[in-house]
Amino acid sequence: MATKARRYARYLPEKKLEISLFPFLSIFLSVMGVLSFINILSSIHTPQKIEMSTQLEQGYKVAFQIFSLPEGIIIVPPIARLEDLQQVIDDANVRDEIASIIVQRKQFIADIKAYKGLIDDFAIEPDIDKISELLKEIRFINEEALKHNFLYEEFILFGIYPDGGKAYHKVRDVMARSQDASSISVGLEPLDANWTLNINGTPVIETQQQERQ
Amino acid sequence: MKQYINVDSLTDIVSNSVGILIILAVVSLIHDNSKTYQLEIPIEHQSELSPVFIIAKDDKLIVLDTDKIFSNAAMQATDGAAGGKRIFPLNYGQLFAQIDDRQGIVFHAQDIAGSKDWHHFTTLQKNNSALRQQLNQIDPKKQFAYFFVYDEVGEGDISGSGFESFRIAREYLKSKHIKSGWKPVDSDHPASICDMSFNALCKYLPSYLGSS
Repeated sequence: MATKARRYARYLPEKKLEISLFPFLSIFLSVMGVLSFINILSSIHTPQKIEMSTQLEQGYKVAFQIFSLPEGIIIVPPIARLEDLQQVIDDANVRDEIASIIVQRKQFIADIKAYKGLIDDFAIEPDIDKISELLKEIRFINEEALKHNFLYEEFILFGIYPDGGKAYHKVRDVMARSQDASSISVGLEPLDANWTLNINGTPVIETQQQERQ
Repeated sequence: MKQYINVDSLTDIVSNSVGILIILAVVSLIHDNSKTYQLEIPIEHQSELSPVFIIAKDDKLIVLDTDKIFSNAAMQATDGAAGGKRIFPLNYGQLFAQIDDRQGIVFHAQDIAGSKDWHHFTTLQKNNSALRQQLNQIDPKKQFAYFFVYDEVGEGDISGSGFESFRIAREYLKSKHIKSGWKPVDSDHPASICDMSFNALCKYLPSYLGSS
């Protein structure tokens, strides 16, 4: 049998082995394309959303956020637990004062959310009187919370963007001279320019910040 | 008989690639829009620990040897070079210094390229790097690291020139249970070491989370 098969094989026409490179090329180019795409994506630094938080000591420290940009500062005051504090205060005058602070802060946050321009335009030059007023306000709230045994303390949280140091130093200069600031805790963190703000979940700021990129 | 070139294979390849890229772009967009990073920000605390000063600039770090710096500055002052708020070379890490009544000794870091005292933050990954050895010398029970971080940004950059090196060094120090604090500096507000009795701004505090 074996000799017959060998003899038969001798007369078979010679065929060249042809390999199609198409599937290999297709996969290779697809992989190349995908890798280059990923590379381009990572190199252009897609904006990241960030939310500043801190380890709240027993849950009572609340951040009064100040974002420091080259054009100035953006202030994002806290509101949520301030309303709870207002409930426990028995003195009508103090309660009214806190109510007015809440109204002002709500209006401020609403203004930020409603602002349609670039976020840079919303940043304001730190004004000595305005900062002093804010420090007084934070101190007043903290002292009232302490007086009423309510676990609530506001502290200043700085988010510093590149070239935002100048505005930060202005605020710290005012704080260094203010008696009101001596009891206020401070936290600070460097932020990259493509890190967008997530202020109480508002999408407006994020979109604008991305446009800036 | 005319022979036509068959472009089926090319079309297939192109359409495969384009299709995958579109899917990836959509996935990446959806992913980016829904993701929010939470940064845990440490708070400044009063402390009995003494600061070890570090300057972070252009992705490099220099640990300030205060003994050497003060002795160099004292020599310059004796020679009269430091009088009248004049800026003088410190002979340390290509730094220039200035003596100021309110700010104490002020450091001007301009051209730091080529200085052996400045170390790129990536050298922290190497076991025997000079930077790692210097940071390892900080005693967590007695000292903390205080960074002067340059926030100036170069063209096309998205981060302050010292931000990344500060973040990496802070993470490394955290792993060694060494506390750290920082403040942003630039050419208008340069790094300075002074005593609080002269100026309330001469306060160097470590920042850490409540649980640390």
